[in-house]
Amino acid sequence: MSYVRRCTSDVRTSDAGEDFSRVLRSGDIVLLVGPLGAGKTTFVKGVARGLGVSERVTSPTFTVVREHECHNEWGIATLQHCDVYRVGSLDEVLDLALGELVEESAVALVEWGDIAASVFGRDVLRVNFEVESDEVRVLDVDGAIDEDRAVALATWAAS
Amino acid sequence: MKVLGIETSCDETAAAVVDDTLHVHSSVIESSIDQHRAFGGVVPELAGRAHITTIGPVVREALLQAGLDPTNPAIDAVAVTSGPGLIGSLLVGLSAAKTYALAWGVPFVGVNHLEGHLFAPLLEQRDLEWPLLTLLVSGGHSLIVLQEGLGQHEVLGETIDDAAGEAYDKVARWLGLGYPGGPEIDRLAQGGNPGALALPVSMIGDDFDFSFSGLKTAVVRATQKNPDVAIGDVAASFQSAVGEQLLRKLRRALERYDVKGVALAGGVAANSHLRVLVRSLADEFGVVSHLPSLSMCTDNAAMIGAAGLYRFAHDGASALSLSARANWQLVDVA
Repeated sequence: MSYVRRCTSDVRTSDAGEDFSRVLRSGDIVLLVGPLGAGKTTFVKGVARGLGVSERVTSPTFTVVREHECHNEWGIATLQHCDVYRVGSLDEVLDLALGELVEESAVALVEWGDIAASVFGRDVLRVNFEVESDEVRVLDVDGAIDEDRAVALATWAAS
Repeated sequence: MKVLGIETSCDETAAAVVDDTLHVHSSVIESSIDQHRAFGGVVPELAGRAHITTIGPVVREALLQAGLDPTNPAIDAVAVTSGPGLIGSLLVGLSAAKTYALAWGVPFVGVNHLEGHLFAPLLEQRDLEWPLLTLLVSGGHSLIVLQEGLGQHEVLGETIDDAAGEAYDKVARWLGLGYPGGPEIDRLAQGGNPGALALPVSMIGDDFDFSFSGLKTAVVRATQKNPDVAIGDVAASFQSAVGEQLLRKLRRALERYDVKGVALAGGVAANSHLRVLVRSLADEFGVVSHLPSLSMCTDNAAMIGAAGLYRFAHDGASALSLSARANWQLVDVA
């Protein structure tokens, strides 16, 4: 089973992120995988909107991790927005201790996460971004998907 | 009053001695940039480790150059960047500053790195006239700040996604150029045609915010479609689009606010194209342009010392329990 959503504009990519926030549960780590300009940050802005983040979400490249307070009905209190673009080795990804960052009612979205996929093991979700044309992005979700999540993702893909 | 300033928020380990007339007695900068080149950007953990080995010698050198005895210097306070920046790097400077302050029995002050940048023009021109508009552009930040006076700043606008310098670094990496991307693109752009690629000048709205993410994407797409375009033309087109966006917002701010001068700050202020643009804009509006020397634009500890003197005078010393704040915004500086 694959969960694919075709986004025909920046706004649609952001909307896909907003809808994806309802797929998330506390403790989730989500790797965002795709080339420069594929819409990863746009997607995160949408997720943040869905999770009820009121402050502005900007690129975390410089500080590696940005933490945002969330207000939503499904109990996710913190969004950790990470970017491992500049991280040099797998050891450094371990140093970020993302597992600990998401321990208490938090989720982590990791841009350029494929660089470090081996560190995260199997218990992560993965959103693959493909650039189809100037405007169109195709988002494909795989990874740790249990039954509940499969239902939620099917709804997400069909939206 | 003499203060020792310490700056370790990113890849520069810096220490400086500044006094309360804003005279810079010494300013020492050790960059770990060579170690980051192979990775196309600053590597957080490498940066932290580099600071640990260089902080001691850099502080000692700054004290010696200021004519002070490193074992018992006549220093009245220690100021240090406590945010924003890479957490591991900030912690090294912060721990060092607290240690010196305790050992010498002097007060210690945590300084916001961005407020530090705002003090840089003052170190070269003490009789600067207010109000002042500052365009602060670096690898981690892009903002327009209105200053009514020392330490009185209002953020008019900032980037909604990537920082200007970050766009330079990412485009440079995409083009297979070295790190940092700014100087390389600046150099290549000299012989290029800025009209070669049709790139969007984002953010045409009437606020003061910036956006560079779409421009970065546009460069990637345009070079994929025109693989034969000369790299100098790509560099010139990109640089022109960045400059135009920055200038458009600065112009709008000059139209809205009655100021005496315009200043550039941050690493991107070293960009030759931007300096020309800002100087001519200032001339057009009949205001003074403050374009700090290159060593004052990039991260240094003299500006941290200067901001520390101001914060100490106004808010007093920081507690030794002060922690580093990786995402400390300028608007949250009291």
